[in-house]
Amino acid sequence: MMSFSMKRATQIVCIFLFSVSIPLCHSSTFAATKSSSQSKNRQRVDESILAEQVDQLIEAELVKSKVKPAQLANDEDFLRRVTFDLAGRKPTTSEVILFGLDSNPLKRKTIINDLLKSEDYAVNWARYWRDVIYLRATNARSRINQNEFEAWMTTQLSENKSWDQIATDMLTATGDVRENGETALIFAHEGDPAELASETSRIFLGIQIQCANCHDHPTDKWKRNSFHELAAFFPRVRVRPVRDAMPRSFEVVSVDQGSQYDRRLQMFEDPSPLFKAFDRNRDGKLTESEVKRSRLARNFEQMLTRGDSNADKALTIKEIKNIALPANTRRATPEYLMPDLNDPTSAGKIVHPVLFIGTKAPQGLKDIKRRETLSKFLTSKSNPWFARAIVNRLWAEMLGEGFYMPIDDIGPERSALYPEVLDALADGFTANGYDLKWLYRTITNTRAYQREMQKKTPEQMHTPFAAQSPTRLRGDQIFTAITQVFGVDDLQTSRVRDRRYRGNQTARGKFSTLFTFDPSTAQDEITGDVPQALFMMNSSTINNLLGTSSNTKLAQIAKEFTNNKDAIQELYLLTLSREPSKSEMKICQDYIKSTDNRNEALEDLMWSLVNSSEFITKR
Amino acid sequence: MSLYHHAHIQTHRQGFSRRSFLRNAALGAMTAGTLNFHDLMSVSAEELRQQGRSMILLWMAGGPSHLETFDPKPKSASAGELKAIQTSVSGIDISENWKNTAKVMQDVALIRSMTNKEGNHQRASYQMHTGYIPSGSVKHPSLGSNIAREIGNRELDIPTIVSVGSTNGAGFLGVDYEPFNISNPGSIPNNVAATVPQKRYQKRLGLLGRLDSEFAGRGGEVVVKNHSKIYNKASSLVMSPQTKVFDLSQESASLRQEYGDNNFGKGCLLARRLVEAGSTFIEVRSNGWDNHQNISEVITPISKQVDTGMAALISDLKERGMLERTLVVWMGEFGRTPKINPRAGRDHYPRVFSAAMAGGGVKGGQVVGASTPDGSAVEDRPVTTTDLFSSICHSLKVDPKKENMSPLGRPMKIVDGGKVVTELFS
Repeated sequence: MMSFSMKRATQIVCIFLFSVSIPLCHSSTFAATKSSSQSKNRQRVDESILAEQVDQLIEAELVKSKVKPAQLANDEDFLRRVTFDLAGRKPTTSEVILFGLDSNPLKRKTIINDLLKSEDYAVNWARYWRDVIYLRATNARSRINQNEFEAWMTTQLSENKSWDQIATDMLTATGDVRENGETALIFAHEGDPAELASETSRIFLGIQIQCANCHDHPTDKWKRNSFHELAAFFPRVRVRPVRDAMPRSFEVVSVDQGSQYDRRLQMFEDPSPLFKAFDRNRDGKLTESEVKRSRLARNFEQMLTRGDSNADKALTIKEIKNIALPANTRRATPEYLMPDLNDPTSAGKIVHPVLFIGTKAPQGLKDIKRRETLSKFLTSKSNPWFARAIVNRLWAEMLGEGFYMPIDDIGPERSALYPEVLDALADGFTANGYDLKWLYRTITNTRAYQREMQKKTPEQMHTPFAAQSPTRLRGDQIFTAITQVFGVDDLQTSRVRDRRYRGNQTARGKFSTLFTFDPSTAQDEITGDVPQALFMMNSSTINNLLGTSSNTKLAQIAKEFTNNKDAIQELYLLTLSREPSKSEMKICQDYIKSTDNRNEALEDLMWSLVNSSEFITKR
Repeated sequence: MSLYHHAHIQTHRQGFSRRSFLRNAALGAMTAGTLNFHDLMSVSAEELRQQGRSMILLWMAGGPSHLETFDPKPKSASAGELKAIQTSVSGIDISENWKNTAKVMQDVALIRSMTNKEGNHQRASYQMHTGYIPSGSVKHPSLGSNIAREIGNRELDIPTIVSVGSTNGAGFLGVDYEPFNISNPGSIPNNVAATVPQKRYQKRLGLLGRLDSEFAGRGGEVVVKNHSKIYNKASSLVMSPQTKVFDLSQESASLRQEYGDNNFGKGCLLARRLVEAGSTFIEVRSNGWDNHQNISEVITPISKQVDTGMAALISDLKERGMLERTLVVWMGEFGRTPKINPRAGRDHYPRVFSAAMAGGGVKGGQVVGASTPDGSAVEDRPVTTTDLFSSICHSLKVDPKKENMSPLGRPMKIVDGGKVVTELFS
């Protein structure tokens, strides 16, 4: 193993040398890219070139701030990081060893490409997006189509569908939620226009416009109108139960013709057609005898009690207009009604769809056309927020820090760190047709991504990306890692019945309920909790796999590696995908020596490794 | 003072992270004044923590019919098959299934004029737990989490906020105020008992600590610090002699019988033990109140269970002199339609419904508000969710207007609007 580490050290030096040589050869290309990105006709950009450009920009900034960037991470750390990030799992022991032994200077590039080709990549990120959407769902029953969404998203990602296509499919989705995974976002919010406006804006543009629901945004330029004009893209979306479906299901449908309620609403807003039709004596008043055989007859008496202000048993245009209607914004209306804050019981005023970046849709569009128009505006190359939002999100997910924090609040009045880096990546991503794999390749190929961890100096608080920032693994990633460590396909579940979410009753589902956090949360706010710790320490699920008395992975190791040092080495590779340091080796050896039962000592060691900070952290 | 303040920032950073703090400071919304404000709040909060006030929420999931519980209308067309019975307080009649509660009515205040607009289970439960309408952009903390944060004992080994059955969480207040969930009341909760003898368990923790400090040395110090904070909390629970609070076999058989040998009764008994041990907020849930069919038949067994547990809880608290400091609230997400549907059930009805309160300074033996004779609307003194929440805060001496910062930097009051229902306390 000694020579193995030596070799690895040399390789790191090779890679380092190789990567520093790049800037010289490509500096002219860099300039060309920059100018072309400003012209309308954007060219595809090679990811290595852009990665280099990104690194130069970052490193120049670090020099200015007098921050010395950390060196590149060693192979073990890099491999574990990139395997978790791209494939959602830990590298196996043999992957760690083979990668260390591989002398190809381009091996990091190669492994990135391999991981992106694997099915694990699509599954990992489909789960990520599942959490982004469902952890903000306003109705918990939307979980019934969680699995369909995951399956649909996995297919999109493995086929490398472009991000604009994925966004469009989600925003224009219709049909049975159990058959159409792309209905997830709409179903999660019951088709409610206001919720859809805030979530569409947050997820796809990184702009938190929902504050403008009730008042002009306090810290951004958005006016209250902008929010409701965005909501006006969704008033004809409806979520309704599928009749006689077993199991119970719902469907997303368009309701283009107005309901009875709307026709009434329209009538009260502009009663002049009524007068043309029924006011036979043209005295500007409707009386009971005039409307006797019309559709108004049934409700005329009620209208009189509510609207006849001068009690002359007749209604004028003005009197009809003044009849107060009940608040009914959640009901079917073909046009969106913006609530009147001064008079919350009124119906509100009609607002037509406009996307706040300045694009206005024609009035009266049908539902699907309306949502298609929104998708077109949203994903348009002239809308910089669409690319910036996802670049910032994925960069932050992989590096632990974003250009903007929180990652989904990047509005125009916020300022980015390294704005030119974000722009370069966003422009490149746009020029490459919103190709997600291109973006992953570019990010993972940067030196910024590949650096080792470092204790943060105060300067680095304001100048991130000088070193890797350790981040918490997501619930699904930890679950997968546990199954890998113990060599099982799945974990056992305890028998707790919860009828409501049968879909989550798999071991993974339960684990996920316990360990999940909203992936849009800033890393410094994710700390884990006591029930998670209790599960890792004391659950029978974990402890049954830890024993050496039955035929567990640990029992095999205890038997196979009779030398303590080898056994410790093996356990480290298995759990943390690296070899122990000298001092770690000593701690572990001393521990085994201090007990009179070797197997128990190995159980304790494995318990400690699985419960360690490092096990649940991407380093 | 400054020492305390330091500890406060260190250990209670939820919803108030470094970043959001800096951002808010930059906005000028909260500048140096914040610190003084916090210091002030800490002092008064410390005093409140000493008073040991607490609350037990009895939650009827599904939306309990007001007509089959605390607002029967035997003489109207809305009456179902169940009769009304007299209680220990003349003039207050309740449904026949609530015989034990009837005997403690002198300690119970009924609110018969609760009113709300939300008729969907999840949305209404969310609102009745948090005081806010659900929104995709903010996860509002439940009232229990807010209360635990304001007056909970931070030094306690056992959790300050517990729920028997899963419930709404701490939202943006973060993991420190997430309710500790118990699915099988009566025994030590899942994963709390160590799987190895205590001595070995401590040795393991020692090894874990040494290995973790190696990782801290490699640049993971922040992660390790957080991790060990949580592991310390978890392991002090595991090793605490106080975990015996979860073991109901320590109570006499006759008392256990009085509470009822079912999950709800056990939950109520556990709630009393937790309050005694220092917990601040306990929710005990009863399921099965969504009675769209055969209501009078289906509602009877669950009513009897809840009646037994609730009455036993109130008398037990009173006997132990704990009722004055412990607020017991009975409620669900909405009421049910006055009209019996063709399947002999009742459907969702938020327009008027009932809630019950006892202890915590609430004057028992009274009815606040009234529904119309057919139970279809509020006739007198409407009480909204925020009115109820403000009253709960009043009982627990929590300031409902206290603002916490949401992750987007928007200050949110514990209760937004609403007025204390003063009759409850006079």
